Amino acid sequence: MEQGSILLVGVGGQGVVLASAIVADIALRCGFDVKQSEVHGMSQRGGVVTSHLRFGGQVHSPLIERGQVDVLVAFEWNEALRWLPQLRPGAPMIVNLQRQVPPGACRDRKSWRSGYPAVALDALARQVGDLRVCDALAIAGQAGSPKAANSALLGVLAPLLPFPESVWLDALRSHVPPATVTINERAFAAGRSLPFPEETRRHAGATRFSANGFHGRDESAPPRLEVIAVWCKGCDICVRACPTHVLALNAADKVAVVRPDACTGCRLCELLCPDFAIVVHDAEERAADLTAANHSGSEARG
Amino acid sequence: MTATLLQGNQACVRGAIDAGCRFFAGYPITPSSEIMEGMATMLPRVGGVFIQMEDEMASLAAVMGASLAGRKGMTATSGPGFSLMQEHIGYGAFAEIPCVIVDVMRGGPSTGLPTSPSQGDVMQARWGTHGDHPIIVLAPASVAEVYELTVRAFNLSERYRTPVILLYDEVIGHVRERAELPSLESLGVVERPQPNCPTEAYRPYGDGAQRVAPLADFGSGYRYHVTGLAHDERGYPTQDPRVIARLHERLHAKLQDGRAEIVSYEGEELDDAEVVIVAYGVSARAARRAVSEARRQGLRAGLFRPRTLWPFPDAEVNVLARSARALVVAEMNMGQIVYEVERCARGQAPVFGCLRADGQPLTPDEILARLVEVRAGEAEVSR
Amino acid sequence: MNTAARADYRRYLRLDMMPHILCPGCGHGIVLQAMLRAIWRLGLPQDQVAVVGGIGCSSRMVGYVDFCTLHTTHGRALPFATGLKLARPELTVLAIVGDGDGLAIGGNHLIHAARRNIDVTCLLLNNAIYGMTGGQVAPTTPTEMVSATTPGGALEPSFDSCKLLEAAGASFVARGLSSAPIDLEALIVQGIQHQGFSFLEVLSDCPTYYGRYNRLGEGPEMLQAQRRHVDWVAAPLADKAFVPGFADTAAVADVALQYGVLHRETRPELSEQVHRLIAASVGEGPT
Repeated sequence: MEQGSILLVGVGGQGVVLASAIVADIALRCGFDVKQSEVHGMSQRGGVVTSHLRFGGQVHSPLIERGQVDVLVAFEWNEALRWLPQLRPGAPMIVNLQRQVPPGACRDRKSWRSGYPAVALDALARQVGDLRVCDALAIAGQAGSPKAANSALLGVLAPLLPFPESVWLDALRSHVPPATVTINERAFAAGRSLPFPEETRRHAGATRFSANGFHGRDESAPPRLEVIAVWCKGCDICVRACPTHVLALNAADKVAVVRPDACTGCRLCELLCPDFAIVVHDAEERAADLTAANHSGSEARG
Repeated sequence: MTATLLQGNQACVRGAIDAGCRFFAGYPITPSSEIMEGMATMLPRVGGVFIQMEDEMASLAAVMGASLAGRKGMTATSGPGFSLMQEHIGYGAFAEIPCVIVDVMRGGPSTGLPTSPSQGDVMQARWGTHGDHPIIVLAPASVAEVYELTVRAFNLSERYRTPVILLYDEVIGHVRERAELPSLESLGVVERPQPNCPTEAYRPYGDGAQRVAPLADFGSGYRYHVTGLAHDERGYPTQDPRVIARLHERLHAKLQDGRAEIVSYEGEELDDAEVVIVAYGVSARAARRAVSEARRQGLRAGLFRPRTLWPFPDAEVNVLARSARALVVAEMNMGQIVYEVERCARGQAPVFGCLRADGQPLTPDEILARLVEVRAGEAEVSR
Repeated sequence: MNTAARADYRRYLRLDMMPHILCPGCGHGIVLQAMLRAIWRLGLPQDQVAVVGGIGCSSRMVGYVDFCTLHTTHGRALPFATGLKLARPELTVLAIVGDGDGLAIGGNHLIHAARRNIDVTCLLLNNAIYGMTGGQVAPTTPTEMVSATTPGGALEPSFDSCKLLEAAGASFVARGLSSAPIDLEALIVQGIQHQGFSFLEVLSDCPTYYGRYNRLGEGPEMLQAQRRHVDWVAAPLADKAFVPGFADTAAVADVALQYGVLHRETRPELSEQVHRLIAASVGEGPT
């Protein structure tokens, strides 16, 4: 492997950036040109973190094009699915089975259902040629600390990259806190020794819901916001009323849907719009439409 | 035709009931209160609704609300109340809501002479509300004519979708006289036409062949908007100058087109008259006596009596101005219709007033004296 | 009665008239939507609903809804509504009036409609100012508040319209908020269902004049202030400077601006009485 594009994805607090920095250091130590770019500005804890890492004789672009990732390392199940389209067809993908429901997926106050996707490994395996699934949290726990899960994942990654094991261990030792070196070495070694594809098969068939009571979102009925822009007068009431900041005023001072996925269907925007410019459609509406059809049938005239 | 002893205000009640009036809202005021009291008794017996409102504005408003719901409606008042009603008369004219307003005139201005007659509201009846609008004003001169013109008022109101004002004075309202009422068959009763088009095609302010669109009852299945704002054919507010101009033109044209039916008058001894008295209401009764007395004295006098004050019979007055040497307008005010007659005469004949505004009716002697004065050339023009 | 969560209220809009003419952030449109949802929820036949307005920003809204609509003269919506209801009692009659419209020029009509207990549901939209004419002081402008005609602050005290109407005899009195649209919808439903005169004062906002003159912010700020300052029945107010009808903060420290249903009683309804009288009188005596 003369060059490589690796995408590491996870959520805030998982050590994604540290893992990426270690790999970058290793590549540098091995004489490669390296570019590493992170997107984690608004992640805080629980938010999305991605790190693009590219190495080779000479690397120009700091970012990896969609569909050009040589190895995708997903620290979290939901993020694995989110970034799957970035992976080059047939390329290997490492998936940690940890599930961390982000705050944004907890906010369907109406149904109290989370938007977190169910774990369905078989479906994922059909889309990924070389799927390497592990339970990094468990490995790290056995190694001495769940915080070392990122080292375990580096262990899983190591055989896929053209770097000598001694360099991996040197870099690892120099980046992790001194008190945790031994734990991280153990975690790395455990990850590195996992047999694939046997390990993936061991987890195969896993279709579970996340432990904290959430189950899969009903994707058949996502709330859909209808904005009648010509009626909107840009009063800003809906923007300020929306608890999940779905709406914003655009340059023309008309309301625009900027975070449609964040909509919980609470209808505050619709109820408080003085100009009838927003309608929230969802599954319940279909039921209501049926009622309305009956309702209109009872009228003397249409 | 049967003769009965009837009071003018009672004749109004009878005419209203016979014409199909089924809603009355009013506020007590002398000298019109007998109409309201009569309606309170009579309406429930024929399935009609009576309500005494909190003031005259509310009274006419309630009448128009009821009219939109399909009931022929009427209110009755006198000067001060008539002043309060003006805004709603304009509303009714613009929104084209049929209704009948009876104004039993008393001495004014302000509280004036509550129990005395006057003819001081004739110009207010025409021009009292702001803005341009056409209006129909009828002026009966006897108890029988109060009955007849009350029925006519409803008929014209329904046919032309406009408020109609029945204007008479305290004497006509309170006099009890032998009245031979015309049969209802001879007068006819106009019922409001209802639209029969699909609901979505209904244009409540459309320009039909007769210039008047049918008015659908609220609750009958046609949903539409009524407003006092300038509006388009659907009744929706508009500021389009072309649409507004068309609306005003149509409102005026509908009464102009119907002039032959609307404008009514009577003439007596006009063929060879050298001096013509123009008089209406109670003044015409004194004028009639003055004419016969003048003729006895060799003065060729005649009487022209408009039964429709507005639209004014202007063409007819103009013809008289061409044939007569002078016109004398006898009215109980300080000069109102006299100016209209002057306008119609167009300088063809001098116009003189025989005016009185002290709460006392004009007497035949007064009018006769004025005729003599006019023929002798001693009278001042218009005074 | 429609129980589905989602009210199909847009069917009642005259789409060719929209958008309406009211200013950005004006609370009146929120109230109108709540009214339409209430009508939908009750399943009233559209042809049998009449909505009557007076003159002003609030009354102007009757032109945008597809019922039998009557936009009348300043202050006189209720007499028109009274005639309509008496002439055709099967109609559901609603009146939308403003605070100046209903309490100043139309104050007499308002109290008499309440006294008669005619089955009309009256929404009085209180934005504490005359909006349509440019922000002049209203009978609901709190003392000391600035308007175009009280540049140094209003001297006169304001009406509490709910107390006024209860005293006048309204058999259903409620106060709603544009900032609490679901509660408002429920109040309007109850108002329409009530047999007799139903009066609902709805606090709304005029950011264009009242908000600007008194530095209360735009629509969102005024709406949020409503929620902060007003609570359910009997909740005390900490700061009532904003709330229309409650001017003197010192004097009302222990007074609550209540919202919800404030008064309800069963009393004979006028149109029913009138038509019972007619039924008993038809054919009697000489006609």
